[in-house]
Amino acid sequence: MNIKRTELAEGVGFSELTDSKFKTCSVYIKFITKLDQSTASANAIASGVLSVSNSKLPSLAALNEKLSELYGASLNNSVRKYGDMQLIGLSASWIADRYTLEGEDITGDMLNIVCDCLFHPNISGGEFESSSFSISKNDILDTISAEFNNKRGHAITQAVSAAFRNEPAAVSVYGTKETAEAVTSAEAYAAYLELMRTARIEIYMISPEPITAAADQLKNCFSGLERCPEEVSYDSLSPLKASPETVEETAGVNQCKTVLVFKSELDDQLAFYLMNNILGGSSVSKLFLNVREKQSLCYYCSSRYMSSKNALLIDSGVEKSDIPQAEAEILRQLDEICSGNISEQELESAMLTFENSLASVGDTPSSYASWMFDNFLDGCDDTPAQRWEMYRAVTKDRIVQAAKSLKLDCIYHMLSTEGESQ
Amino acid sequence: MKKEIITSSLTGDSCVHLKHKSGLDIYICEMPGFSTVNAYISVKCGSVDTTFRTAGEKDFTTVPDGIAHFLEHKLFENEECGVFEMFAKTGAYENAFTADDRTCYLFSCTRSYQENLRILLSFIQNPYFTPENVEKEQGIIRQELQMVHDEPENRVFYNLLGGMYHSHPIKTDVGGTAESIAGIDAPLLYKCYNAFYNLNNMSLAIAGNINSDEVLAICDEVLKPCSDNGLETLLPEEPDSIVRPEIYQQADIGAALFNIGYKCTPASGSELLKKSTVASLAADIITDASTEMYQSLLDKGIINSTFGAEAFTGKGYFALMFLGESPQPEKVREALVNEIERLKREGVDEKLFRRTKRACYGDFIRGLNNVNYVTGLMSNSFIRGIGTYDAIDIISAVTADDINKFIITELSSDKLVTSVMEGMAN
Repeated sequence: MNIKRTELAEGVGFSELTDSKFKTCSVYIKFITKLDQSTASANAIASGVLSVSNSKLPSLAALNEKLSELYGASLNNSVRKYGDMQLIGLSASWIADRYTLEGEDITGDMLNIVCDCLFHPNISGGEFESSSFSISKNDILDTISAEFNNKRGHAITQAVSAAFRNEPAAVSVYGTKETAEAVTSAEAYAAYLELMRTARIEIYMISPEPITAAADQLKNCFSGLERCPEEVSYDSLSPLKASPETVEETAGVNQCKTVLVFKSELDDQLAFYLMNNILGGSSVSKLFLNVREKQSLCYYCSSRYMSSKNALLIDSGVEKSDIPQAEAEILRQLDEICSGNISEQELESAMLTFENSLASVGDTPSSYASWMFDNFLDGCDDTPAQRWEMYRAVTKDRIVQAAKSLKLDCIYHMLSTEGESQ
Repeated sequence: MKKEIITSSLTGDSCVHLKHKSGLDIYICEMPGFSTVNAYISVKCGSVDTTFRTAGEKDFTTVPDGIAHFLEHKLFENEECGVFEMFAKTGAYENAFTADDRTCYLFSCTRSYQENLRILLSFIQNPYFTPENVEKEQGIIRQELQMVHDEPENRVFYNLLGGMYHSHPIKTDVGGTAESIAGIDAPLLYKCYNAFYNLNNMSLAIAGNINSDEVLAICDEVLKPCSDNGLETLLPEEPDSIVRPEIYQQADIGAALFNIGYKCTPASGSELLKKSTVASLAADIITDASTEMYQSLLDKGIINSTFGAEAFTGKGYFALMFLGESPQPEKVREALVNEIERLKREGVDEKLFRRTKRACYGDFIRGLNNVNYVTGLMSNSFIRGIGTYDAIDIISAVTADDINKFIITELSSDKLVTSVMEGMAN
């Protein structure tokens, strides 16, 4: 993996990677900022505005028309949570010039569009132009409303909010309906300016051939900006509640949901990833084989490790009357790991899963970008091969210690409103 | 076994196709530079294939809805151990899915693809159904159906199909219903397995970091010779008309959803590919963000970025669907109907048509970047009976006139169905 990383401005990293097997060029721009109830909605709306217009293509129609002409090039924004941080992204992808039908230089056009969206949004009188702002604001409001359509996702969001109450990680990445509703165009524009001034920014460009103009073009754009990047803490442990809290919600559903959140103070990330895989991260995990296959209680029962909060989350969809049995079996399987009941095959299988996964880094442009960005967030600079060696060094005892360090913090139940099920 | 090299004239990409002596169709695409290997076993056994017979059988057999999906679950268990455990020994990711026209079993890995291929080819040839393991699976599938039933996107979609189709089994959930799966037992599963899981009715598609000769050697080693059983499937007669034009359902959801669809005339083989391509382009043109209709609906907050359209096509069914979130789905329908009537009168905008074609070409090129996409492309060519790269050639050949003809002849207001899933408070 031959990555060339340079600093374009204070707190702005630019990583370039060339891989001749790809037929496309991709650029990923990532903003890292603190997740805060007072700014979450404005930041999310601002990032949306950047992907629907710019000063030269001042409407969604004009921008979309141009992207279609450029062989359906894509330009998207994203907003997601990583522990106590809000990660805001703008990304673009287009086919390499050699695949155009008439030999056009669409790479040059796309770089200009990305720079215009990022540095020259469509503004009027010190605020975002009203139509672009409304599109983005309505989209965020609709996204907030639609969260409840996905019951599994909603259950996890509620469990996370309860587990990390009063911490930034409890805040919805889009804010609330009320905070989003209250954002004005001027406030969204101010949020954009603040992000450009204070957020950590990492940019990744992945292409089949070097794009020589990109770094200089972006550097020139950043040179006109005042930068004062804020310090952000990438990992923040969450205090354990005095006793596990149970949160219940009712909904008109056929299937109930249960989510358990555990916390740990042990610092051994790789052991947690392996422990998570053995417990509930695959189709040979203890949860899958016992809660689903042996007891036939559910279709899914899985776990995930949240490294930024050093927490483990387990979720399942079950009948209301089966919730106690499912939770008892989940805890029993965790106890099995705590007792050291991990077979050589389970350990080897978890190791091999990570070996496969690490070896596939680089098979898509997004996997390269994710690898580099995750490394940045973790403060390391490993290659996949180096990471694999580190996994190999994790012992069974470290995995057991990781499991033993987990303390139950919170249980969330989504219960059906009408009897056993609807 | 004669190897046929299939090459895309536009991109130069190529893959190998051959009919193996066992009866299996094999597609191989070596992709230098990639680490991943993806493989799909595809069986022409979909959720709509519930009535069938093999050579020598006088009568057709009808099996319960959801049996293809049930088979998919059960194939992952054999007499010695679970298939999951076998793949776990190599660290491969394995999965399967059932659609209306196929069941696919797949793995993805970066090491030991030879061993994974042996496992894949072996387990699909070794079913193991017992009363006990069938009963256990019923509990798991019941929970899967409950989960799917709580997904409003799924409900609004099947409600639309229920409004369109009188008797075609496409209107039933792929997984069947709690009642239908209760009627599935081990003998029925064997009956279905023996009819459909004949190698002459299946394909292997494998792409990525592989060697063609090695793949073929493993196929020679593992595949048992199989004679064609003369499988025939039967679909019920389906009238051209719709069942009802509107279906509204209330549910405990946060955002209201709509599916608005035109029931169209079905097609098959290469005609299906061309018609599907034309319909997809028409869908993209009608919902393009640069159109006045889109702008007007967006400005009024009637649609958002979830608004889109797609051609939904397969054996005996064909529909053009518009979908998304909206607080006022009737306004969306009104705008769509008006826009389609305008297009019937004025024809599609030539510039928009050319842009849309270029975008489709770009999407295709982007897909070829991805091992999984290429595997899916080859699998699809077997299921649909088309050339692997035909889609891109057909896109190039489509004219604006083709789009106009499709809109005029297929998008008829008496074939329009609206399905809405609204919140409890509405």
